Amino acid sequence: MIAPWDLLTGLLIVLGLFFMIAGPVGLIRLPDVYTRAHASGKCDTVGQALILLGFIIYEGFTFDAVKLLLLILFIYVLSPTATHAIVRAAYVLKIVPWKRGGERQ
Amino acid sequence: MMDKEKVFRQCITFCVLFAFWILLSGYLDAFHLIAGAVCSAIVTFLSYDSLITKQKKGGVFKLLRFSFYCGWLFIEILRAGSDVAYRVLHPHMPIDPQIITFETPLTDDIARTVLANSITLTPGTITIDVNGGTYTVHALTSDTARDLTDDRTIEKRVARIFLDAP
Repeated sequence: MIAPWDLLTGLLIVLGLFFMIAGPVGLIRLPDVYTRAHASGKCDTVGQALILLGFIIYEGFTFDAVKLLLLILFIYVLSPTATHAIVRAAYVLKIVPWKRGGERQ
Repeated sequence: MMDKEKVFRQCITFCVLFAFWILLSGYLDAFHLIAGAVCSAIVTFLSYDSLITKQKKGGVFKLLRFSFYCGWLFIEILRAGSDVAYRVLHPHMPIDPQIITFETPLTDDIARTVLANSITLTPGTITIDVNGGTYTVHALTSDTARDLTDDRTIEKRVARIFLDAP
């Protein structure tokens, strides 16, 4: 017999893993640095949040759960900042963004 | 009067830091509590100015509105992830990337930062550069680009939190 909370935990972790896999797939398939930043930045944020949320539900209301919640919040602040730093570096180096019908970089 | 406010700010900073220490250590014995209190006191003494800045009116309401905004943002982030995942896994990759620039009427530094981070977190857009009120944004599709320049949903929401222009 599986407890409903465990089921929810599993569901969230599997969903998170789906996003975590979609990120690298995008990294390989997308044509240039800007679009790749979209894939890695967003899919990872969502994936991490879902997996950690699954851990929180599994953990119940403890110190560790609050720590995990803080972790999610920090990732939400840091992930866009890091993405922005990478993309801005590319922009400052004048890397030409890919347009529809252009060559892969 | 000035001194009273300073002490008040120091007290708040100390309480927040100490609560954070207890949260992270998880031990409630004398040694850890005293060590935490000493560390919090040192940090408070050195940097009470940066956590609680000078109080403007309506700070609490601002915080309340901001937490509602965070809830909305969370749903937007889920949508962003699904959107990118869909486009990446689609056999034809329906993307049409472009770089757009737009001006924002927001004046507050924190409001501008929140807007820039929100743009990066919401579907299909990444903030490349912010120069004064001018944002340079990379959009994955023309739809998301139009959202930013015409509808300005995020900007309006951020403006409502900080009671700034439009």
